[in-house]
Amino acid sequence: MTAALELVNLTSGYGSSTVIHGVSLQVGPGEIVALVGKNGMGKSSLLKTILSFLPAWDGAVRLDGRDVTRLAPFRKRALGLAYAPQEQALFQDLSVRDNLRLGLSDDRGFEARLADINNWFPVITARLYQRAGTLSGGEQKMLIVARGLIAEPRLFLLDEVTEGLQPSVVDRLAEVLAAVRRDRGTAMLVVEQHLSFVLGLADRFAVFKRGEVVDTGSVDVGSAARIDEHMRL
Amino acid sequence: MITLVLDIVTTAAILFIVSAGLLVVFGVMKIINFAHASFITIGAYTALVASRFGLPPVLAPAVAFLVGGLIGAAAERIVVRQLYGRPLDAILATWGLSIVIGQLVTLGFGREVQFVPAPVSGTLAIFSEDYSSYRLLLVVAAFVIAGLFTMLLNGTRLGLSTRAVIMNENLAQGLGIDSTRVRLITFGIGCGLAAIAGALITPLASVDPNMGLSWLIGAFMLVMISGGSLPTLGLSCLVLGGLQVLASTFISPILGGLTIAVLAAVALRLRPEGFARA
Amino acid sequence: MPDLGSALWSHASLSLPGLPRALVRVAIPSLLAAALVVVGPWILDTYTLNILVRALFVAIAALTVDVLWGYSGTLTFGQSAFFGIGAYALAIGFTQFGFGPWQALMALGAAVGLAAVVAGFVGWLSFYPGSTPLYASVVSLVLPIVLVQLLYSGGTFTGSSSGLVGFESFDLSLENWFRLAGGAVLATLVIAWIALSSDAGRVLGAMRDNDERCTYLGIDTARVRIALSVVMGVVAALAGFGYVGFSGVAAPENAGFVFGTQLVVMVALGGRGSLIGAVVGALVIEVASAYLSSSLPFVWELIVGVAFVLVIVVLPGGLFGSLRDASAAMHPRLRVLLGRTLSPVSLATLERTAPAPDRDAVVVEVDSVSRHFGSLSVLSGVSFTARQGELVSIVGPNGAGKTTLIRCLADGRERSEGAVRICGQSIGRLSPDRIVGLGLGRKFQAASVFETLSVADCLRVARTRSERPSLIAASPVLALPAAARAVVESSGLAERLDQEARFLSHGLKQALELAMVLALEPQVLLLDEPTAGLTRAERQGFAAVLTDLVARERLCVLIIEHDLDFVRRISSRIILLHQGRVALDGPVAEIVDDPLIREIYTGSTRPKQAGVTP
Repeated sequence: MTAALELVNLTSGYGSSTVIHGVSLQVGPGEIVALVGKNGMGKSSLLKTILSFLPAWDGAVRLDGRDVTRLAPFRKRALGLAYAPQEQALFQDLSVRDNLRLGLSDDRGFEARLADINNWFPVITARLYQRAGTLSGGEQKMLIVARGLIAEPRLFLLDEVTEGLQPSVVDRLAEVLAAVRRDRGTAMLVVEQHLSFVLGLADRFAVFKRGEVVDTGSVDVGSAARIDEHMRL
Repeated sequence: MITLVLDIVTTAAILFIVSAGLLVVFGVMKIINFAHASFITIGAYTALVASRFGLPPVLAPAVAFLVGGLIGAAAERIVVRQLYGRPLDAILATWGLSIVIGQLVTLGFGREVQFVPAPVSGTLAIFSEDYSSYRLLLVVAAFVIAGLFTMLLNGTRLGLSTRAVIMNENLAQGLGIDSTRVRLITFGIGCGLAAIAGALITPLASVDPNMGLSWLIGAFMLVMISGGSLPTLGLSCLVLGGLQVLASTFISPILGGLTIAVLAAVALRLRPEGFARA
Repeated sequence: MPDLGSALWSHASLSLPGLPRALVRVAIPSLLAAALVVVGPWILDTYTLNILVRALFVAIAALTVDVLWGYSGTLTFGQSAFFGIGAYALAIGFTQFGFGPWQALMALGAAVGLAAVVAGFVGWLSFYPGSTPLYASVVSLVLPIVLVQLLYSGGTFTGSSSGLVGFESFDLSLENWFRLAGGAVLATLVIAWIALSSDAGRVLGAMRDNDERCTYLGIDTARVRIALSVVMGVVAALAGFGYVGFSGVAAPENAGFVFGTQLVVMVALGGRGSLIGAVVGALVIEVASAYLSSSLPFVWELIVGVAFVLVIVVLPGGLFGSLRDASAAMHPRLRVLLGRTLSPVSLATLERTAPAPDRDAVVVEVDSVSRHFGSLSVLSGVSFTARQGELVSIVGPNGAGKTTLIRCLADGRERSEGAVRICGQSIGRLSPDRIVGLGLGRKFQAASVFETLSVADCLRVARTRSERPSLIAASPVLALPAAARAVVESSGLAERLDQEARFLSHGLKQALELAMVLALEPQVLLLDEPTAGLTRAERQGFAAVLTDLVARERLCVLIIEHDLDFVRRISSRIILLHQGRVALDGPVAEIVDDPLIREIYTGSTRPKQAGVTP
């Protein structure tokens, strides 16, 4: 079965500085892979390269077997790729509803999808006509995730989605993402520093250090300790 | 007194019609389209040709919109798009375009001043003062344009995509919006609006190859202090247009022409991001 | 066959004692041009001479546009206004007061004085902390429009829309006018060339490349730009003075917006940033317009318009810029010859007494600093102090406010509340260039250097605040404080002093920026993620440099870092920021094992069992 996402020896960087050094990674269909690592190691840059916001200097990105390395960012959505960025992820001045609408390529079926959003994050649908900037931090993150899920993507890239969130919200997110994977077979690449969240959710993990994948494996009882070794202060 | 008030309102309306297209381009693409003046000229000459062919005057703005829009879209595709990362150079390139268009118009139509008859002539009695009907009609036109535009921006999917691109182009692209196409359409619409303005103001002033230039600076300053917001543009046109009329009437017409430029420059110094949030 | 390239190169390296190198380089071309100017009137016909005299004065105005736009990065449409000021000062003066030596002097004084005042005012309006290049262009656009309207409303005093004509003016023969105009252009070219090649001239290029970096090197860029505007305004006014002195007619078109944009077109076509391009562009367009305006009036302007658009889109360097690039590609030696980085440079160390090894005065005091954006609070109640000889690492997850804290220390206008003192002085609401003067040096996260300047020039610009650079010469000696020199030599930059900064590797750019900041001789050093993108070897080198700076020079170093291994190795102290507050502050040994750090970074106090969801 073709992988939902395949990275083959991907290399990129900014100006004269190489940030991603020949990364190879796979996310199988319906699989959840956790990408863990300390700050500044290049995880966000990796996601940006996958989306072509950062041009790849070498290597390939494949979605469902199709080479999309040089495809313009806006075309990737149509291929079933959804992205929840870490920073500047919402249009603060647009309403919650308009932000959600932008998760779809047109408005057909929007109302029907709202029902799903209501199941996952009722607090969002309660605030449908409010400006997104007036939502609390946790609600904004939920909105970002909801917007990504509304289009029923085949692959969902999440960048530090639990940052700055209370435990209760984190748990809710974990539940929703697990449910979506179970019911829809959505594959996910979850970039995180919050280990307990991501290890409870993921099937596999990959440790990212200085632009490279230094360790990878299935999530099991010993994973946390193994990852801890790499992240140790 | 009534005449003065009506002068202010109609001047504001004319300024609004002339500036709206420029605002659209500035908001989405963050550049000033110096060729705006020549699209006003294109619109005026389109109206001239249309009247020579016997087309009913009410259709002239629509035809002007099409002509201006198509030429504008072509200009975006060929010239402006290449300068995406160099905004000051993009501004210069649009100035070069305006020279080119101006010369082509001159070559095609000659330098003489021409006249287009007003579709609606005569005066209307407002509070016992007679006032030019056509000027009053322009106030209606300004509201129609503002209304259509707001509907387009807030009521359509394209409008939503455009608002998204205005606020955060990268995020918009990440959500699947083809921002290049949005820019193309926006530039075309902006130029089309300029052409409509040209078609609408021909009965008031004469038509010559350089007519757009005198409007350019004022429109440009109004757009910059409006910070990309259409309602603020309307307000700016009213306030500054009003001050211009007052200065022209009570001080001198020549200095009145400076009012907008000077006041706007000072206002921008005090508040560089414009007054959209005020 | 002797290598022409090296022959030219060694010729160009010659220097006559006492004369700036730049002057020697242009000596031969200048003498040739001067000869042409003297001889010209005997060869050319009257009609051509007439056109050329006007064109030459216009060329001077075009030169001012090139200096402002091509060299310092400000697109200006307003130089025509100053041309007009000079023109009308002469015309009004001679119309009102007649012609004579006193009247001429007065008119000249009026031209220069008025131009200086207007330029100063316009500069003050356009250049202020936080101004954008677009606003400066906007103001430059409005200026000629305002001036022309004033001329229109001036009645018979200014001649209104018809201008002024019929006044008696200087009685020089056409040939001598040509020599005067030609000589003026030549003199302006040579002086501009020398000044722009000098150490002071480099600062302009630095400001154009990276205005922020200049500010953080202690240079008041607004003031430099205003001073430059005044000088350029006066020169343009003198050009207008000469133009109307010759032509005998002053018209509003000489001061207007259209003329102002024509100057920009001339510079763009000739090649912005090349000086000679402005002159050639002006001469070609003026002469061609004169000849073609009768036969092909509109087509000529159309051709210019199309050429202009093509140049902007495809050949931004214009004629001379493209020539330079093409010839440089063909012969690398020629590139160095045509480039501005020319004189070989030698390093020297500034003598400074080393500070006492136990100096540990408090140099950074942060007192309840907060930063809000509307209702969003990025920093609240941050307080700490730091001493000489301390290496404090500031750590924390993304969004904790680390970079904002650095900004609040380096820029007095940034914080919302609280107080900051650097070396005992409160920073109040001072701008960054003033805070540099208190002893603060800031190094940015993305290596912030001057891309088109050579390594040596970057370092020289960094010394601007401490030693006023010469306006005439480019010094062959680069004197640096010991710490900066150490970085330059240990990183390998010493072998690349004449290489343009944009060709350096990432690690070398970081080293260059560090050396530039050290050249300020700061007492407090702020580093924002300095090891990002460095190789392991580079990181080790960097760690060694930092520890040395702290121990020997008694610097206080505040460093934002994510690499906790690096932090543990080199810091004496760690401050942990979390959600805008100081969560931990203490010696490395104490903090390193604190469970709070682990919890904040990884979200757990101990590893969780997989598969168990709460």
